[in-house]
Amino acid sequence: MIMRAGQALLLPANPVFIWGTLMGVLLFEMALQMAWLGQAAWAPDLLALTLVFWTVHQPRRIGVGVAFGLGLLIDVHQGALLGQHALAYSVMCYLAVVIHRRLLWFDWLRQTAHVLLLFVLAHALQWLVRALAGDGGPDLWMALAPLWQAALWPLATVLLLAPQRRAHDRDDDRPL
Amino acid sequence: MPLGTLDQAPPPFFKQGPSALSKLLVLGALALLLMVLDARLQWATPVRQTLAVTLSPLQWLALQPLHAARWSGQYLGSLQAAQAEAALARAELVRQAERAAIVEHLAHENRELRALLGMRDRLPTVARGAQILHELADPYTQGVVIDLGQQDGVRPGSAVVDGFGVLGQVTRVRWATSEVRLLGDPQQAMAVVNTRTGQRSLAFGVPVARHADARIELRFEPADTQAMVGDVLTTSGIDGVYPAGLPVAEIDSVTASGADGFARVQARPLARVQHVLHVLVIDPVGLPPASPPAAATAPSAAQTSPERPAP
Repeated sequence: MIMRAGQALLLPANPVFIWGTLMGVLLFEMALQMAWLGQAAWAPDLLALTLVFWTVHQPRRIGVGVAFGLGLLIDVHQGALLGQHALAYSVMCYLAVVIHRRLLWFDWLRQTAHVLLLFVLAHALQWLVRALAGDGGPDLWMALAPLWQAALWPLATVLLLAPQRRAHDRDDDRPL
Repeated sequence: MPLGTLDQAPPPFFKQGPSALSKLLVLGALALLLMVLDARLQWATPVRQTLAVTLSPLQWLALQPLHAARWSGQYLGSLQAAQAEAALARAELVRQAERAAIVEHLAHENRELRALLGMRDRLPTVARGAQILHELADPYTQGVVIDLGQQDGVRPGSAVVDGFGVLGQVTRVRWATSEVRLLGDPQQAMAVVNTRTGQRSLAFGVPVARHADARIELRFEPADTQAMVGDVLTTSGIDGVYPAGLPVAEIDSVTASGADGFARVQARPLARVQHVLHVLVIDPVGLPPASPPAAATAPSAAQTSPERPAP
């Protein structure tokens, strides 16, 4: 693998941490929706963000299959059309696999622009599917959701990569 | 560089499993198949039920903060608010008690008259108290989730009412919870009767952005309709699902638009969707008391929408 300039050498990702964050985000999103957000169409889909993040960073562990499974769970929880999120997440994560080698060479602003495109596509796909199923559209606030999601990308990078940025051998005398 | 910084095993050269594209094609086709089965044929119910069982521990866990918030809200709410609420409830109780006495008398009279005329007795309905847990997340439909499910004997098609009127209909029953489609949902239809004129009609939900301003409209009303603003609509009971006589909505606009030859009659639901927490679930009347296989086909009578009958 070619190292890009200034790339930090990361510790290997812990599978428990990967799955833990996915389940945790799923749980957090469900709790937030049930307690506060209700039907808010503008709410960012944090699970989609986490999925794309891990697909880009760990494509050998998280990919299209996981996205499909989690999408089905979300469909059942939301009472939506069965397969709606599964399809959207699968397509989104496939594109994430396609761009995963290129994406990390960009700075964070361009990375955000890239993932914004993925999120817009996922939402548009769901909208199209529901329109075809005859359910009409939600309010226009839904257009905000991909924007929030993409704006959270730098934060996700900081939070989810933090365990891998630790020093590989702890030394109390060293400042880092 | 110590070995601990590397992944334990290098990526395999040849055995890499199916490519992302092939996975996408297979799973995408599967998703499309599921959607068609779910939307058109209602065959996806077993898949949905299985997934719902898998998901239920997570949902239970995610509900705990909500329960905690509600509990602490009740516990810490001000004494004054609680007293005001209690006074309001007592006044409402007196009003209802007065009405209940009249209804009791009328029901007795009705029974005797029916016996006199040799008509069939009205079927008694089973009602269960339930609590609304949360709104359904899907922004394309209007629905809520209640805390009764299959284990409590709830059946798809049951009417859900609050103290003021019909709130909606149970469309999907999970093990411990059920999904309720609200009146204002565009896919939801019910047979109603105007209590003043006795005119029967079909009421459909009108697409709106928020639950708070949910509305229903009567379709196929003749241009010279007798409906007036202020008329109260109740369930007519001819759909064989809702018991007759549940209050539904109050007409708040009648427009004799001539373009398609029908009048536009819109009504505001009487149920207080935004504020209500406790509801009653009333079993569908047209069904024998306990036969789960028959229950699965029942709601199609009330959901007359050609696009998606109730699953």
